[in-house]
Amino acid sequence: MDNLTDLPNSDGFFGEYGGKFVPETLMHALKELDETYAKLKNNPKFIEEIDQDLVQFVGRPSPLYFAKRLTDHYSGPQIWLKREDLNHTGAHKINNTVGQILLAKAMGKKRIIAETGAGQHGVATATVAARLGLECHIYMGAADVKRQSLNVYRIKLLGAQVHAVDSGTATLKDALNEAMRDWVTNIEDTYYIIGSVTGPHPYPMIVRDFNAIVGRELRKQSMEQFDQYPHAIVACVGGGSNAMGIFYPFLEESNVALIGVEAAGSGLMSGKHAAPLNDGKPGILHGAKSYLMQDKNGQVVDTHSISAGLDYPGVGPEHSNLKDSGRAQYIAVDDDEVLSSFHLVTKLEGIMPALETAHAFAALEHIAKNYKSNQHIVINVSGRGDKDINTVATMDGISLD
Amino acid sequence: MEYLLTRLDDRILSLNKAKKKALVAYLVAGDPSLDSTLELMHGFVDAGVDFLEVGVPFTDPIAEGPIIQAAHDRALKNNTSLSDIFQLVEKFREKDPETPIILMGYMNTFLANSQALQEAHTSGTDAVLIVDIPGESNLEKLGIKNKNLAFISLIAPTTSEYRISQICNRSSGFIYYVTLRGVTGSSHLDISETEENINYIKSQTLLPVFAGFGIKTPDDAFNLSKISDGIVIGSSLVEMIHQQSSKKEFKKIYNYLHEISEAIK
Repeated sequence: MDNLTDLPNSDGFFGEYGGKFVPETLMHALKELDETYAKLKNNPKFIEEIDQDLVQFVGRPSPLYFAKRLTDHYSGPQIWLKREDLNHTGAHKINNTVGQILLAKAMGKKRIIAETGAGQHGVATATVAARLGLECHIYMGAADVKRQSLNVYRIKLLGAQVHAVDSGTATLKDALNEAMRDWVTNIEDTYYIIGSVTGPHPYPMIVRDFNAIVGRELRKQSMEQFDQYPHAIVACVGGGSNAMGIFYPFLEESNVALIGVEAAGSGLMSGKHAAPLNDGKPGILHGAKSYLMQDKNGQVVDTHSISAGLDYPGVGPEHSNLKDSGRAQYIAVDDDEVLSSFHLVTKLEGIMPALETAHAFAALEHIAKNYKSNQHIVINVSGRGDKDINTVATMDGISLD
Repeated sequence: MEYLLTRLDDRILSLNKAKKKALVAYLVAGDPSLDSTLELMHGFVDAGVDFLEVGVPFTDPIAEGPIIQAAHDRALKNNTSLSDIFQLVEKFREKDPETPIILMGYMNTFLANSQALQEAHTSGTDAVLIVDIPGESNLEKLGIKNKNLAFISLIAPTTSEYRISQICNRSSGFIYYVTLRGVTGSSHLDISETEENINYIKSQTLLPVFAGFGIKTPDDAFNLSKISDGIVIGSSLVEMIHQQSSKKEFKKIYNYLHEISEAIK
């Protein structure tokens, strides 16, 4: 087996997954991005600039917090929370956008585009574009514009334009389609900040690298706070950027279990879910080969999840390779489990997780019993739940008007 | 690349001999219905079309503008699958054994049907154009190579000279030059840039170079035909087909195609 940390290869493949499956017009821009990134990623000045932004603008490092009452509740392993919800703009997404905006700047691009599902990546992109005074356009499925209205307004306040996408299922995948069409059309002056470890090479690698700060901090913090690496790391997986960021620095630590949690929606058996690693087949969407929710004719099928950020039929190619290689395991939890977990964590810890993040917490119901009281589990708290209170209220049958 | 000559190459040779420019017409299979698609294909040929490009609908056609996207959606509502399209081609061949047929679509649909693709030529398909595989890709490795089919590659204004030569080396049939930066049906045609690029491509390959994306009027067609070996018409036809989807009076479309075929002679 290849050394997992050394992937992707130069063609952008993680094992059989990944690659660059895009219309010809984009090939040159991808090569240009690949070359720019290769040149800059080890450049001390570039690294220093990013590090400074991460500390002073994002607020890193994010704390590693011991969740005492949650630990007592499960009376199993010690549960620790990696607090990405405390980052500026409220989620891990900013780790990636502060890095990519510097690539855009280095490439002399004047116009920024991005897709967004839950709106967190849209906010994180609009934020860094505002800071550099760059024109910014955010594509968002019309259905998501409705259910994440708070974030839509935040994006607009930051000076970006929101384009509601009506085509297809009007969710994240259609927003990605539309962003790619914009990119094909405005290729010369536009930088596309993809928000997850998805899309054509080199995006899955770049987005992972920028998010890997989370896992690197955890290596240090876990040693400092409990004298060893965690026994397990749990993270939710939609496209999979928060999971990849915290998993990647531990790929070679074979004693650390890596557990990704997908959205089972109305249940894996119902077919109404967003869990390609649990119930999909390899296919090609948005520029990469990876596990995909599709029918027998190769058409991408509708997904369902309570959380807009996980409502996506594909997944980052590196996760597909980690699944096949057995290095990570991927489970799925349904909407009901997520909602009760959201309430549990909010009440026990005073931390309101995003509905995406609540998937990782809900996994504790399944896995906590497998660990002893002297073992440590880390949950990646990928984002905070303020944006979701309307959805939660609706699910609970409460009107906020 | 090893590949057997098809009726596509025959047609290219005969156009060459007659010193004629090629007219390629695109439509989406199953929009508004497979029966209409069959009727339109024959009608196109009678109106002067030399090659038929049949769109294979996909849920996420990222290179298409709004007009063709909507046609893909309509065709999928009719549950049009790749195997339906192979049957459509077979039916078309009962009356027309000569006009070359190119299937144009997206990788995932072909990947899901790679077995069927191995037999596609037996039902009368001549070539495949897959929008989202880079032209220099190793088709064998991707499991979709069929030496009885031509694999048409796209070259764009942004394609580097190095990649142009790589793509030319791996291509068969013809080269499809994308005339603009944008999705199908856009309108930023730049004739002088197009001419320069097509001339460069022709210096790298003996294959004919057809131009498409953004051709709307007989004037556009005329201008592009002067600098290429043929032209591809797509979005404007798909739009006209949609307008006629209830009345099914396709004569207007045939007149339009006839006008274009006269314009490029």
